[in-house]
Amino acid sequence: MQRRYRTVPDLKVHESAHALSFEDPALASKLMAMGLLPGTLIEMVRVAPFGKAFYIKADGIRLALREEEAASILVEV
Amino acid sequence: MRDAAGKLLSVALVGNPNSGKSTIFNQLTGLRQKTGNFPGVTVDIKEGRLRFPSGNEALLTDLPGTYSLYPTSSDEKIVAAVLTNPVDAHYPDAIVYIADATHLEKHLLLLTQLLDLGMPVLLALNMSDMAAEVGIKVNATRLSERLGIPVVSVSGRKGENIQKLIAEIEKMLLSLPGQPRKPFYTLTEQEKYVAEAACLNLGIKNLYQGLLIAHHRSWLPFLSGPEEAILDTIVKDKDFVSLRAQVDETLDRYDRFIPIVQEAVHRPPQFPSTPTDRIDEVVTHRWLGPLVFFAVMLLIFQAIYDWSETPMNLIENGFSNLNVWLKERLPEHWTTDLLTDGILAGLSGILVFIPQIAILFFLITLLEEVGYMARVVFMFDKTMRRFGMNGRSVVSLISGGACAVPAIMSSRTIGNWKERLITTMVTPFISCSARLPVYAVLIGLAVPAHRVFGVFTLQSLTFGSMYVLGVLAAFASGYAMKKVLRTRELSYLAIELPVYRMPHWKNLWLTVWEKVSAFVIGAGKIILVISIILWALARFGPGDAMEQAVQQAQTEALARQMNETATNDLVAAYKLEASYAGFLGKMIEPVIRPLGYDWKIGIAIIASFAAREVFVGTMSTIYSIGSSEDDVALRAKMKAATFEDSGAPVYTLATALSLLVFYALAMQCMSTLAVVARETGTWKWAFIQFIYMSLLAYLGAWAVFNLFA
Repeated sequence: MQRRYRTVPDLKVHESAHALSFEDPALASKLMAMGLLPGTLIEMVRVAPFGKAFYIKADGIRLALREEEAASILVEV
Repeated sequence: MRDAAGKLLSVALVGNPNSGKSTIFNQLTGLRQKTGNFPGVTVDIKEGRLRFPSGNEALLTDLPGTYSLYPTSSDEKIVAAVLTNPVDAHYPDAIVYIADATHLEKHLLLLTQLLDLGMPVLLALNMSDMAAEVGIKVNATRLSERLGIPVVSVSGRKGENIQKLIAEIEKMLLSLPGQPRKPFYTLTEQEKYVAEAACLNLGIKNLYQGLLIAHHRSWLPFLSGPEEAILDTIVKDKDFVSLRAQVDETLDRYDRFIPIVQEAVHRPPQFPSTPTDRIDEVVTHRWLGPLVFFAVMLLIFQAIYDWSETPMNLIENGFSNLNVWLKERLPEHWTTDLLTDGILAGLSGILVFIPQIAILFFLITLLEEVGYMARVVFMFDKTMRRFGMNGRSVVSLISGGACAVPAIMSSRTIGNWKERLITTMVTPFISCSARLPVYAVLIGLAVPAHRVFGVFTLQSLTFGSMYVLGVLAAFASGYAMKKVLRTRELSYLAIELPVYRMPHWKNLWLTVWEKVSAFVIGAGKIILVISIILWALARFGPGDAMEQAVQQAQTEALARQMNETATNDLVAAYKLEASYAGFLGKMIEPVIRPLGYDWKIGIAIIASFAAREVFVGTMSTIYSIGSSEDDVALRAKMKAATFEDSGAPVYTLATALSLLVFYALAMQCMSTLAVVARETGTWKWAFIQFIYMSLLAYLGAWAVFNLFA
């Protein structure tokens, strides 16, 4: 069965996708205040040296997110 | 400039974390600033005087950086708590909003929230020079028209247009309370009901303030229990879901201000790769990243050790020369001793830390200013989180290798209360520079200089193990505290990795100045008091015990035909034995005997509470070689020492190892305790730390003694 959605950790390095929505409302509020909104183009830049965290670019700003934080951001397939 | 009640008018600086707010604050106030604690939490609020060319003055408050009035960390909460409480001491008469002109579309959300609070707001477009460099054109006039507030383009770093900003601030204050504005965001029916009910019940005029209070009712410090209960009822009555409303409001604000930004800002197409990307390719690289980090840390460590040596020696020698000079000139009396051995020794103990604190904070602030620290947090967050800490804790732990005092002060950048507390609690386990002289004497005494594996000596291996032991104790304790401590505060990483920039030197010097004075004034007082108490313990004895000790020593010296120096050393040794400190040493002997120590070591342990390095000096005095402070002579004396009852040698390998473990793990530093109390805002944690570390040290030392005995 084809999956209906993906999350940020599913992105390969240098792959980009538009954000669709956020699963964690408290985090959503924080990310939106930082400038990451539904519709923002997210680029996966790299994985942290010891894993479990991601370096992403969202419309010109650079963000570091924990794995579970990144996994709460749904992106287009 | 004062209000109707005669209070000095105040202006708050508000902005996102990377807006360059503190640079602007420093430009506006210079050295006319002080740091105060916000009651209840240990986040600092900086205040300064703003002087206008007309001679008028106003108070300028630098509120912590935040992205929105819906906060997620304790310092962000302060901004919301201050701005929703018109009777708060920090509540401003007007706001200066600092935005990064290169990312205006990310910085206007908070501004539009502030616009709805009803007080006059001025927008300062910071980093206008950088925006111009990358070809971003901001039409300030258009922006001002659309937002309905004054807009000034400035550059905090270059100091451009600061005078214009000051003039605009004065103009804003002269026309208080300003023109009424139409709210930027229109509340939904439900929000309006909740906000109006909140305003009515709390006697608040502004609708958006009422709405924010309803959102934040569970943690706002100024709400009483009954007020919170009323708000709860109102919110439940209307099925008001706070998080959903927040998200909807935020999205609505973006929808409204993005067209304004598009109209007023012209930006060129993005360049595919910037210098920041190229730097990050190396410094956050899978294995180059950690390598670069450890190289940087090694450099810091080296700098703290190396650069601080000369100024520290200068301070110590300066004080000891002054002491000798005073003792020669002042009459022989206990007041002289109080001045020299108590007060001046205490002052020397405080001031001697200044070089290390200054160097550490200079380098750490430098890394913070250029933008590197956020990368460290990103790389080590996972590892440190396992042990109850956070990416930023790495910096504190490594700094602890030099000195726990500045290291603990550097943990302030950790947002989460629990993670910061654990970092504070475990940092003193890392072997600091003050333990080195103790290690040197004990290892030289007890560990043979055999070579193992051809390269290392057994002594250097023992030295290395002491560091390993400290790191293990720190991480194990962190892990244990993570399981025990509870916090309701959510822990997020989600941080912005700012663009790399050249440091702003004025900011750097101001931070170093601020940290050093905070230490000298805050912790210094306590250190001085403890130092005087310890001096009194060693100087005075019960009844006429001291006089008897002096006579006994002099008789013995006469009988053994000792020269003047040897006589003085013997007198000092007898006096210390007869003093309250000696008394305490003997009193705790039964407790420390299982670790292999006699009362002489007991005295040294008590005295070491002033600072660990005092061990060597105290041992020298006890073994009556006080005047020479010679390691070799001291080791010879210690080797020959025996227990008074059994006659067995005191310093066996087991005792020496047990003492090493004790000194590695025990909390024996009043400066650290004073700093912990200051940073956590209560003596409770300093006390817990003292008990916990001492217990661990005792058990560890006991285990090692019995293993090798």
